[in-house]
Amino acid sequence: MIDMGEVLQTFIAESQELLQQMEQALLDIEQNPDDPDTLNAIFRAAHTIKGSAGLFGFDLIVAFTHVAESVLDRARSGELPIDGTLSALLLEAGDHLAGLIAQLDAGASLEALPPGIITRGEALIGRMGQYLEASPSEARGEPATSASATASEADTGRDEGHWHLSLRFGPDTLRNGMDPLAFFRYLNTFGRILQVEALTERLPSAAEMDPETCYLGFELAFVSDADKATIEGAFEFVREDSLVQVLSPAASPDALRAHLDALPEDPADAGERLLRCASVSRAELDAVLAPVTAMTEAPAVVAQTTLMKAPVDGPVPAAKLRGDNSLIRVDAGKLDQLINLIGELIIAGAGARMIAQNSGLGAMVEATEVLSRLVEEVRDSALTLRMVQIGGTFNRFQRVVRDVARELGKDISLQISGGDTELDKTVVEKIGDPLTHLVRNAMDHGIEPLEVRRAVGKPLQGRVSLNAYHEAGGIVIEVSDDGGGLDPQKILAKAMQRGLVTDGQTLAEKDILNLIFEPGFSTAETVSNLSGRGVGMDVVKRNITSLRGTVELDSTPGVGTCVRIRLPLTLAIIDGFLIGVGQASYVVPLDMVEECIELPPGHLDGRDYLELRGDVLPFIRLRQLFDEASTPPRRENVVVVRYAGTRAGLVVDQLLGEFQTVIKPLGKVFHQVSGLSGFTILGSGDVALILDIPGLLGHIPRTPNDLRQASPVATLT
Amino acid sequence: MSKTILIVDDSASIRQVVGISLKSAGYSVVEAVDGKDALSKLDGRKVHLMISDVNMPNMDGISFLKAVKQLPAYKFTPVIMLTTEAGEARKQEGQAAGARAWIVKPFQPAQMLNAVSKLILP
Amino acid sequence: MPAEGIRSIRLEGAMTIYSAAEAKPSLLDQLNPPGQLALDLSAVDEIDCAGLQLLALAREEARRAGGELYLAECSEAVHEALALGGLASFFATEQEAGE
Repeated sequence: MIDMGEVLQTFIAESQELLQQMEQALLDIEQNPDDPDTLNAIFRAAHTIKGSAGLFGFDLIVAFTHVAESVLDRARSGELPIDGTLSALLLEAGDHLAGLIAQLDAGASLEALPPGIITRGEALIGRMGQYLEASPSEARGEPATSASATASEADTGRDEGHWHLSLRFGPDTLRNGMDPLAFFRYLNTFGRILQVEALTERLPSAAEMDPETCYLGFELAFVSDADKATIEGAFEFVREDSLVQVLSPAASPDALRAHLDALPEDPADAGERLLRCASVSRAELDAVLAPVTAMTEAPAVVAQTTLMKAPVDGPVPAAKLRGDNSLIRVDAGKLDQLINLIGELIIAGAGARMIAQNSGLGAMVEATEVLSRLVEEVRDSALTLRMVQIGGTFNRFQRVVRDVARELGKDISLQISGGDTELDKTVVEKIGDPLTHLVRNAMDHGIEPLEVRRAVGKPLQGRVSLNAYHEAGGIVIEVSDDGGGLDPQKILAKAMQRGLVTDGQTLAEKDILNLIFEPGFSTAETVSNLSGRGVGMDVVKRNITSLRGTVELDSTPGVGTCVRIRLPLTLAIIDGFLIGVGQASYVVPLDMVEECIELPPGHLDGRDYLELRGDVLPFIRLRQLFDEASTPPRRENVVVVRYAGTRAGLVVDQLLGEFQTVIKPLGKVFHQVSGLSGFTILGSGDVALILDIPGLLGHIPRTPNDLRQASPVATLT
Repeated sequence: MSKTILIVDDSASIRQVVGISLKSAGYSVVEAVDGKDALSKLDGRKVHLMISDVNMPNMDGISFLKAVKQLPAYKFTPVIMLTTEAGEARKQEGQAAGARAWIVKPFQPAQMLNAVSKLILP
Repeated sequence: MPAEGIRSIRLEGAMTIYSAAEAKPSLLDQLNPPGQLALDLSAVDEIDCAGLQLLALAREEARRAGGELYLAECSEAVHEALALGGLASFFATEQEAGE
C-alpha cells in the first residue's frame, strides 16, 4: 500500500541530520551543562529517530533509542546531571546510531548486522541502563493505546448472543472533540449495533443546560466477534472521564450483577433497560435482582425516585468503580502519624469549642460545632483506614494447629469463622501472642487424648474454633474447644489453697472458673491437677487488659471450653463521658455508660448499693477511691456503667457530658494504679484520667448476698 | 466529501508515512512542520481531526493545543497527541489542556488508522 | 404540509458542538408560544450528539409548557444520527399527532 522505499530515504536523511545536531549539542553541553534548550535538542533527536524508526519496523533502532531517550528524559527533568562520562557515553550512542543508519543507507538489512555492531549496541544499552536504575519511567506498563488495560475479565467473543454496552459519557466529552456517535460508527466497522437506547434523564432544565456539556448516556446491544478489549478500546479516548461497562454475551449472573452495580442508576431500573435491549432475559434479571428487590417494598417507585436524583455532574470514572484498581498501599507509619495528628486536632477542636462556649458568641459556637462534627467524621474515616480483617491472623493458626497436633499425637482440626470482622491494625498485631497461648492451651489441655475421647464416645477428631464478631463498640474473639472442660470444684479447692478465696465466700460457678486468670493461681505444679489449664493464663489476661480488653471463660465439663476476649475496636481514640470529682476530671468510655441518675440524697450514707427499678445496683464512690478530701456537693450523681454483663454505678460530683478523647498511655510510674487506663488532655489544657471500667467492676461484689458479706457496713433498711 | 486531517510533526518521515496511510484510507491530509506552521494552516478551512506531535521546535504540541482551544472555529476539533512513554509529565500537561487521545510513539501506520477511525470515519 | 393548528419550526445548517451555544437560545425561543410544534430538519446537513441533546431538551421544554414537539421532516444526516443515537422513536411523528 505504501511504498516504503520512497520514504526510507527521507528517514535516513532526517536521522543523519538529527544525529549531527545531537553530536553538536552534546559537545555544547559540556561547556553549558544547565542549558535547557541544548538538552532538549538532544532529547528531541533521540525521540524523533525512535518515533520514525518505529514506522519502518526498525525495532533494533527503536529499542536502542528508547534507552537513550529514557536517560535523556531523566537528565531533562533534572534527576540526572550530564557530566563528562555521560556525555561521552551519549556521543558513543550517537555514533552507534549513525552506524546503524549507514547500514540502512547502504541497503543492508538490520536483521543481518555484523556481530560486532550488535555486541557494541548491547554493551551501550547496558551502560546507559545503569543510569536508569530506580527510574520510575522504566517500571511503567504498556502505553496508553493498549485498550485491554481495564479489561477485568478475559472475556472472548462468542458466536451466540450479543454484547451489552452501558455508557455514561463525561461532561467534557463533546468539548474535547469526542462525539459518541463517532464511537458508534466505529463499532459498526467490526460489528453491528442491534439496538440503542439513549438516556436523557441527566438533561437539566433549559435554564441550567449547558449546550456544550454532554448529558447523554446510552445502552447498546452490539453483536460482534471481537473480544472485550477491542470493544472497550472503541472508547479508550473517553475512558478517563466516562463510565464504560461492557457485558459479554451470556455473561454469568455475577458479571450481570457487577455490571448493574457499576451504573449510577438504581440496579432494578438499569436492569429494565438491559431487558429492553434483549441483553438479558426477565428470568436472569429477576434472579440477579431478587435479593435487592426483596428489601424494598415498591421497587418500581424506588427506581423512579433514584433516577430523578441521579447526579448531573457526570458519572464516576470507570476506574474508581473497579475494586482492584482502586487499592493503594500505604506505609503504616504514615497512617499512625495521621491518626496522631487527628488526635491533636480533636484536642485542639475541643479547646476551641470550650472557648467558644465561654465567649457566648452564638455564631462562634455554631461554627465550632460544625467543625467538631467534621473532625469527628475525619476521625472515623481515618480510623477505618487502619481497620484490617482478623482473618489473616486466624489463618496463621492453621499451621500452628497442624504442627502442635502432630507434636501432641492428637487429631485436631481448626474451625475459623468471622474472619472478615475488622479491627484496628495495632490491636491485631498485639492479639497474636495471647491467641497463640490460648490455642495451644486448648489443644494441649482442653482436647482429651484419643483414648479418652473414644471411651466417652466423642468424635476422635478434636475441634478448636476461632470466632470473631462485633458487639457494642468492640470486637469479641472466641477460642473454644470441644474438650473435657474444667472442673469448678477442683479450681475452687486450688484457689482456696492459694489463698485467693476465703472459706466464707460464695462464688458463682462462672466466677470460680475465671479464677484461673488470677495472678498467683497458676503455677507449674497445678498443671497435672487441673488438666493443665491455667498455665500462664494470668499473662494472657494481663496482655488483654493492656489492650483495654477483658477475658472470660465458660466451660461445661465433658463438653468443652470457650475463652471469650473482648477488645475495643481501636486503641487510639475513644468517645468518652466526662465526669468531675472535686477539682479533678475523669473520663468513662461512652459505650460503657448506660445512664446517669441522681444519687438519692441523705440516708444512703455508708451503703455501697442502691435500688434501681427493683434491681440492686452496687456502686463505687470515686471520692473515696481517689481520696478526694474536699466537701462533697449537695447533690451527687451516679453514672451507671455496664461491661461484659456486670452493671455498677460510679458516684461522682458532676456530669460534664460527652467528650471525644485521645488516649495517652500512663507512664510506668502509674502502672500499679488500678482503675485507671490512661489519661488525656482536655481542651482547657487540664489532664483528665481515663477510668478503667473493667478493672473497677472487677472489684465489685455481684449479688446482694455478696454485698452483705463483702461490706459489713451496709445494711438494708 | 472526504474528511480532512491536519498532521503536525517536525519529522518529515512521520508526516510522509502517516500522510500516505491516511490518504490511502480515504482522508484528505494537510501537513504542518510545527505548531506555528499548523496554526497558519488553520485558515478557515474545515478540519475534522488534528494529529500533533508533542515535542517540536518553534511551537510544541501542548502550546499548539492550547492555541487551538482559543480558536472558535477549531476549538472542538478532536486532537490526537503523539507522545512517548518518557513524556509522562508533558502528558499530564496535555491532559489539562483538554487532550484525551494519545498515541504512543513508535507506532505502526495501522495503529494510527485505527485510532483515527474511532474519532472520524473517512 | 403541517396539519391544522400545528406550527412548524425549521432549522438548517449544522447542529453541532460548534453551533450549540447559539442554537440553544434560538431553538428555545421558537418554542414560544407553546403548542403543537413540528420540527422540520430537512435542511440540517450535519448533526452530532450536541445537536441531539438540544433536540431532546427542546422536546422536554415543549412538553413542560403543555405542548408537544413532533418531528416532521429530517435530512439523511439527521435520520442517521437519530437512529445511531437511539432517538429515532424519541419524537412522535406528525402522523401520530393527527390521530
